[in-house]
Amino acid sequence: MIIPENWDYFDLTVRVNGQDYRERIPTHLRLLDFLRDVLHLTGTKEVCGEGECGACTVLLDGMTVNSCLVLAVEAHDSEVVTIEGVAEDEDIAALQQVYIDHHAIQCGYCTPGFVLSAAALLRDEPEADPESIRKGLVGNFCRCTGYQKIVQAISDFRK
Amino acid sequence: MKYHLPSSMDEYEELIGRMGAASYVILAGGTDLIAGFDGGRPVPEHLIDIKAIPRMNGILEHREHVEIGALTTIEALRRDEHIRNHFPALAQSCEDFGSVQIRHRATLGGNIVNASPAADTLPALFIYNAMVKLRGIQGERVVPVQDFILNPGEVDLQRGEILYSIQLPRSECRSLFHKLGLRQAMAVAVVNYAIGYTIRDHHFTHLTVAAGAVAPRVVYLKTFMDAVADERIALDRAIALVDNDIAPIDDIRATARYRRTVLKNLLLNTLTELLADDRKR
Ligand SMILES: Cc1cc2nc3c(=O)[nH]c(=O)nc-3n(C[C@H](O)[C@H](O)[C@H](O)COP(=O)(O)OP(=O)(O)OC[C@H]3O[C@@H](n4cnc5c(N)ncnc54)[C@H](O)[C@@H]3O)c2cc1C
Ligand code: FES
Ligand code: FES
Repeated sequence: MIIPENWDYFDLTVRVNGQDYRERIPTHLRLLDFLRDVLHLTGTKEVCGEGECGACTVLLDGMTVNSCLVLAVEAHDSEVVTIEGVAEDEDIAALQQVYIDHHAIQCGYCTPGFVLSAAALLRDEPEADPESIRKGLVGNFCRCTGYQKIVQAISDFRK
Repeated sequence: MKYHLPSSMDEYEELIGRMGAASYVILAGGTDLIAGFDGGRPVPEHLIDIKAIPRMNGILEHREHVEIGALTTIEALRRDEHIRNHFPALAQSCEDFGSVQIRHRATLGGNIVNASPAADTLPALFIYNAMVKLRGIQGERVVPVQDFILNPGEVDLQRGEILYSIQLPRSECRSLFHKLGLRQAMAVAVVNYAIGYTIRDHHFTHLTVAAGAVAPRVVYLKTFMDAVADERIALDRAIALVDNDIAPIDDIRATARYRRTVLKNLLLNTLTELLADDRKR
């Protein structure tokens, strides 16, 4: 990260995966960098850094966001859930298992983002059909699997 | 970079007053702003996050108009029952907008102030004759959206002002939005357009068309609309007049020639279908 000359700091309080943190951080720090470099939660990935690929997807107050387009200060007094946090959740652990069973993972770089987007989608739309699953996941790119297995895994989990 | 989070309009105005001539940037959803904050772009001296200002997020239904807070997200607009029923072109423009993650953060105000020639909500706001309410230390003013947008990325926003809300006058006409991108999802429009119309006796008695990505700013297809509404010429001949109303350029997504052709073809199709549907009734 390049430190700008006019840098300043902010005292952030945030709950991440159920745990409360107070950290003094630079104001221009992205939520993505806060999670990875400050909290060392490296399950959240960076690929494009501009909102296109969804590898950096996390839940901010329950909603999927691209953590590369959110500043850490914007998460002040909020609740963040990352892939490390959902692994504890039984339902989502089951979703991860379905992913494995369907070989919906190759290099795995896109997987944390996909799992979070899929979990949020199924929470809001438990009856989602393959078409809605595809629509709900347009913000997550995968360069390996060709998507078919991912959509199948999520459809299967729903059943 | 100093980060500010005013919790009321008063606090915001006080902050602007205290800041003197210092440079600042307004932050809403950040989907246009934040990319590059990790070193790709210089960060501003002051960042004013307006998300804690109350009453700027949500949709209010008045008798004469609907008022949409500038912080209302694209996802909220897409899901709103009232917008879907009464301003369908706006709801449709939010449908294939970015991704779920983007729509959760992106705001209507940000889409307007960013003033991209391809901004998806603008054609709909143009055909609904939307008015933007601007508030600042100098007070409040309300201007038509088409006067607010000046150039790509440039709007008529004075120092200290923010875009507070968007007013949509109620109208009886029907409307729709269409977007063509290089792929269906996550794509900047090659062309997009919104149509407001009334059909009587199998003719358009009223037609407003606004199109994006075919000129430096979103434009009304004025010569074309007037010709159709006047019934001077048939649709398939009038469509050539669209060329007078637009000034597209070549860029990475499409050539100017392609944009001209595809806009005319899509528009002719849409309008022909609307008339055919009307005949079937
Ligand atoms: C991956 C991706 C996909 C996208 N897809 C689309 C798409 O399909 N269609 C489309 O039209 N756009 C798209 N965009 C662009 C962007 O998401 C929209 O323009 C969005 O509406 C911007 O809103 P925001 O709240 O995020 O703005 P911000 O990034 O917060 O701000 C944008 C600009 O507006 C100013 N501003 C914001 N709100 C106010 C206000 N109330 N008063 C004064 N100034 C203000 C800011 O200072 C800044 O200059 C996409 C962007 C990304 C990264
Ligand atoms: S790294 Fe955030 S969307 Fe690609
Ligand atoms: S598994 Fe490699 S990018 Fe999706």
